[in-house]
Amino acid sequence: MQPLRIALAQLAPRLGVLDDNLARHSETLTAARSAGADLVVFPELGLTGYQLQDLAAEVAMRADDPRLAGLAADAAGMSAVVSFVEEAADHRLFISAALLEDGEVRFVHRKLFLPTYGLFDERRFFAAGDLLRATDSRLGIRLGIAVCEDFWHLAVPETLALDGAQILINVSSSPGRDLAAIHEVGLGTAASWRTLMRTYAQLTTSFVVFCNRVGMDETISFWGGSEVIAPSGEAVFTAPLFDEGLHFVDVELGDVRRERIGLPLLRDERPELHLRELRRILAGRTDMAIDQASEAPDGEKAGR
Amino acid sequence: MSSDEKGEPGRSESVSGGGPGAGGGVGGAGPEAGPEAGPEAGAGPMFELPPELAIDADVARRVMVGFIRNQLRQAGFGRALLGLSGGIDSALVAFLVAQAIGPESMLCVLMPYRTSSPESVNHARLVVDRLGCASDLVDISPIVDGYFGRDGDGGAGGAAARDAAPLRRGNFMARARMCVLYDRSVLWGGLVAGTGNKTESLIGYSTLFGDSACAFNPIGDLYKSQVRQVAAEIGVPELIIRKAPSADLWPGQTDEDEAGFSYPELDRLLFWMIDKRRTDEELAAMGFPGPAIARVKRLVAVSEFKRQVPPVAKLGPRTTGVDYLYPRRRPGSAR
Repeated sequence: MQPLRIALAQLAPRLGVLDDNLARHSETLTAARSAGADLVVFPELGLTGYQLQDLAAEVAMRADDPRLAGLAADAAGMSAVVSFVEEAADHRLFISAALLEDGEVRFVHRKLFLPTYGLFDERRFFAAGDLLRATDSRLGIRLGIAVCEDFWHLAVPETLALDGAQILINVSSSPGRDLAAIHEVGLGTAASWRTLMRTYAQLTTSFVVFCNRVGMDETISFWGGSEVIAPSGEAVFTAPLFDEGLHFVDVELGDVRRERIGLPLLRDERPELHLRELRRILAGRTDMAIDQASEAPDGEKAGR
Repeated sequence: MSSDEKGEPGRSESVSGGGPGAGGGVGGAGPEAGPEAGPEAGAGPMFELPPELAIDADVARRVMVGFIRNQLRQAGFGRALLGLSGGIDSALVAFLVAQAIGPESMLCVLMPYRTSSPESVNHARLVVDRLGCASDLVDISPIVDGYFGRDGDGGAGGAAARDAAPLRRGNFMARARMCVLYDRSVLWGGLVAGTGNKTESLIGYSTLFGDSACAFNPIGDLYKSQVRQVAAEIGVPELIIRKAPSADLWPGQTDEDEAGFSYPELDRLLFWMIDKRRTDEELAAMGFPGPAIARVKRLVAVSEFKRQVPPVAKLGPRTTGVDYLYPRRRPGSAR
């Protein structure tokens, strides 16, 4: 089987400068094609920069925006995942990742989980998506696309894998923080992400492709370290931290089959059990307005 | 006025002892923390580094250097300047700026007052020589004396200024330096790099609109102990790292005497209190003395205003900082 060539575009977008970022994406797609890439992945909000605040509305595009169609034309012969501020018909703004194939926008994933804590303030500026679906692709397999924080929720990679994805793609603008010598590569964020990525790849027996941006917006440094993880959970490739680069990684899609035959975790998943228990848990939530367990004195905790 | 300014009279308690890992030298702090005595100076470790504060100095350096480049580029500047005191904070920033944009694009301004320690200027010169950057010496004595008076001659401040306490004079000096620095920034065509660290920012040990004034600050999220760690890594001369930190606002002043804390103790307490969100009870259980916890909490709370942009009364539909929220650097914001 011909290897699949993945291009990780670990770029540093310019904050709010849509035209420059579009041009940069276009050049990168051209370079990726010359290098024989099949799948090109750009980081979260690569077309706009991350820390937009009130600029979000000024750089928003509809999914049918001709500028995206232009990028789709640049991606002809390949699959490309690009990310931008999407304005819906009803003028809600989403952080979206689009799959571009055969000259058109084939699929759009709207970021489901908007971190609004710590240094994040996404819910203030954006609406949360509410569809979680894998998508067919010209690569002959299904892809699962997620944006950054989506991968901090277990159900996302699980659902995408159950929906048939064999490559899970996460596009990120992950701010580097929690510097401490005890962390792998000195950065708490990087250590956490690496743990997640390897775990998801192994548990879903899928490839995980992580493209994280570099550069700075305001006070925030994005750490890069984009990766491709094999279905066995082993890293196939890890990009340098903080440096821009277009990295090519060849993978054998046959590894998915091999792993899933040898380790049939997906075969053994029990989604109907999960669903049944989720229904029960959700039904129980209606009478959980007051958290009795924590209010009750010791020894009198309500059994639930 | 004293509570919003540098220096606080009447401090007595000190943080002593500490919890797990307290008081350790740097030996076990991991591969990145190796401030062993170099050829330049005496025996023993250069400084004490609490293990939990040890960072990957190279990652920190890369982030700060990138930050400096980015701040300048986005503002449309290629040059920077800073006030070089002879202390470790401004020395580290000078090394970082030199790495970011090259020493030829950096100006260090030395601004001694007549009572400043001659050692301070000598140490600043050491940094300038080491980096090979431009420097400028401005004696701020006539500015400060022009206001407070000198040797019985009255100054512009009149009788109210004549017998000013060292604290007022110190704050005035810090602000005079800010005036000089911002004036020279026009001449040099560069932005003013800030040199305040996280420890002094959190406890409010800085002069509002004085030493805290800057266009950007690369080291403002590093505790003093971490400043020392990166400074050692990046090649700041060892005698600058080893000497007792001082605002040098009056002869013999040292930060640690004035505050009643040692930096490693204070840094550890702030780290667990602020970064790791430990409650007072948890901090006490870790071995921090109750009075020290209470006092540091108070210092942090009363200096909140120093760390924030002055508030604007909300009147119109969109108010800066409230519901008009734009990045400082955005399309069109470069000069």
